[in-house]
Amino acid sequence: MTDIAPEAVKFIDLSLTTIAFLFIVGFIGGLVSGFIGSGGAFVLTPGMMSLGVPGAVAVASNMCHKFPKALVGAYKRYKYGQVDIKLGLIMAASAGVGVQVGIMIQEWILKKWGEAGSNLYVSLSFVVILVIVGGYVFYDAWKTSKSGGEEKVTSLALWLQKINLPPMMHFKTANVYISMWFTIPIGFATGMLAATIAVGGFIGVPGMIYVLGASGLVASATELVIAFVMGFGGTVKWAINGMVDIRLTLIILAGSLLGVQLGAIGTTYVKEHMIKIVMGTIMLIVAVSRGLAVPKYLKQLGVISMEESTISLLMAASFIIMCIALGIGALIILGSMWKAKRAETAAEAALALDKSYS
Amino acid sequence: MLSFIKKVQEKETGPEQESPRLGNGRESPPKPEVSRKILVVGKGETLDAEVMDYAVNLAERLGYDLIALSVNPTLGQKGRFFSPYKYHLREKFAQRARAAGEALKKKMALRGVNFEQVVKFGDLGKAVAAVNQQFKRIEFVITQDGVKEKEVNGEINIPVFRITGYQGERMMAKELDSRGIGLMGKTVGYGIAAAGLYAALFWNTDTVMHYFTKGSWYAALPIATVFVVSFVHGAFSNYLWEALGIQAPKRVQPRPTAAKRPVDRKRPRPQLRIDT
Repeated sequence: MTDIAPEAVKFIDLSLTTIAFLFIVGFIGGLVSGFIGSGGAFVLTPGMMSLGVPGAVAVASNMCHKFPKALVGAYKRYKYGQVDIKLGLIMAASAGVGVQVGIMIQEWILKKWGEAGSNLYVSLSFVVILVIVGGYVFYDAWKTSKSGGEEKVTSLALWLQKINLPPMMHFKTANVYISMWFTIPIGFATGMLAATIAVGGFIGVPGMIYVLGASGLVASATELVIAFVMGFGGTVKWAINGMVDIRLTLIILAGSLLGVQLGAIGTTYVKEHMIKIVMGTIMLIVAVSRGLAVPKYLKQLGVISMEESTISLLMAASFIIMCIALGIGALIILGSMWKAKRAETAAEAALALDKSYS
Repeated sequence: MLSFIKKVQEKETGPEQESPRLGNGRESPPKPEVSRKILVVGKGETLDAEVMDYAVNLAERLGYDLIALSVNPTLGQKGRFFSPYKYHLREKFAQRARAAGEALKKKMALRGVNFEQVVKFGDLGKAVAAVNQQFKRIEFVITQDGVKEKEVNGEINIPVFRITGYQGERMMAKELDSRGIGLMGKTVGYGIAAAGLYAALFWNTDTVMHYFTKGSWYAALPIATVFVVSFVHGAFSNYLWEALGIQAPKRVQPRPTAAKRPVDRKRPRPQLRIDT
């Protein structure tokens, strides 16, 4: 196993721009994942690759930064009483199986259709899943905000909670009593998606909300536990192969630990459906971005013909839109935090003014 | 002058017309359940912050409503004569107390606690009795320093608890410590530690990269490193945000105790009936 490392890995030299880029993306990615439970990886991995980092090293270094970030975020949100550890661990265990199955599918596709086929599969999964799930999350958030911000448990979740299929489990923080058999598939799908598009949370969080009936706050916080367990497992695997570039990891971590805490604090300020709004927005924009990458792989497979310059333009646009997705998510979070904080300060100021009478 | 005196008398004898009432007062359609309440009694225009803090936390935890009663015993009417100056003082007292009450009410609403401010003059025991009569189901009274239990229990019997200044002082001292120098020290300390950690690792990049990418058992090195960094740098960023004034408001946790509260049962009360 160890002999792969020396020949495959070429570690890049660090420049000031590289450091600044990684730090900033790390911070914004951390902010988003502290808030919605996942995010950042979809920009960081391609971003590092565009800086010349080999794919495997980019994935490994990203994963190595993801689990300590998730740990810090989960701890912070645990203190706010938002994390359901039991749910997180069960989901993480089934996600572990999902990852293995996801990798097997990837390998099978790689063998059958080559790298372009594998890339096409990844991009298409991105587009299909993100459009459907992201669209629904966004629609639901929009509906909630219109009806005054009161979150409702879906009828699907209520129906599943009624089915008595032992072993039944009680998740205290999530306030959900449901059969284990409905929990496992969500975790499994999370793992499979994580193996395919590197962001399992895009299935995990909506799954916990709409299928299991947890609130957006608890679901996004619990996702951090899943991210920690999965990230840790993945990191051990990559580190044994010597693929982790600790310099890249540490620079990203420097930014993301700041961001993840800010994001976690943010959840305590804003209305609950803001989590869904941010998540839905990011998912839909990322779907557009990945959609732009599809022609390249179709061309490589010989399905369509297109000029090389158009392709490279599309790829550049795809990456920029991806960055925009993360940026917009961060802006919504910071904006809503700012608004909530200002309202609170105003209330406190009024109180202080009245108190100064006596 | 006589009409003036009459007006003042009316005020004292008819507290229902004077004081604001809770949402489930008598005039609104009668609700089957009257919520339980905590009464906070003080002799000033505003109630001590620490006493209020304590009462609010308690009310939040128990799911009770909160009534603040500001009583001014010196402005009570003794005989038939009531001086215009005293009347002016009364108005002023009530005005200030209500202004503070309004602000408090907004703050309580954020935490989901129903709050009402009542202003009374004269005997403390009578005032408490009047409030009890008006609002019903006051479970106990919290007083601040300077209010004696005897005064409160003059007319009716109700458990009285007193918050002493000592606790308040301790509370304030603690707050100062976590926000003042202690916080700054921690931020700077962890900041330096994190910077040192980063410097040490990047100073020896070549050595670090050589060993960290060796694979197999050396995998423990990068993993242990990120754990240490996440602890030190994580603590630094935690204190940094706190030092910058960005921290979770206190109302973060949805109150599970409120949800688990046993259903309020109707207590059978003795009723007067005509036997037919």
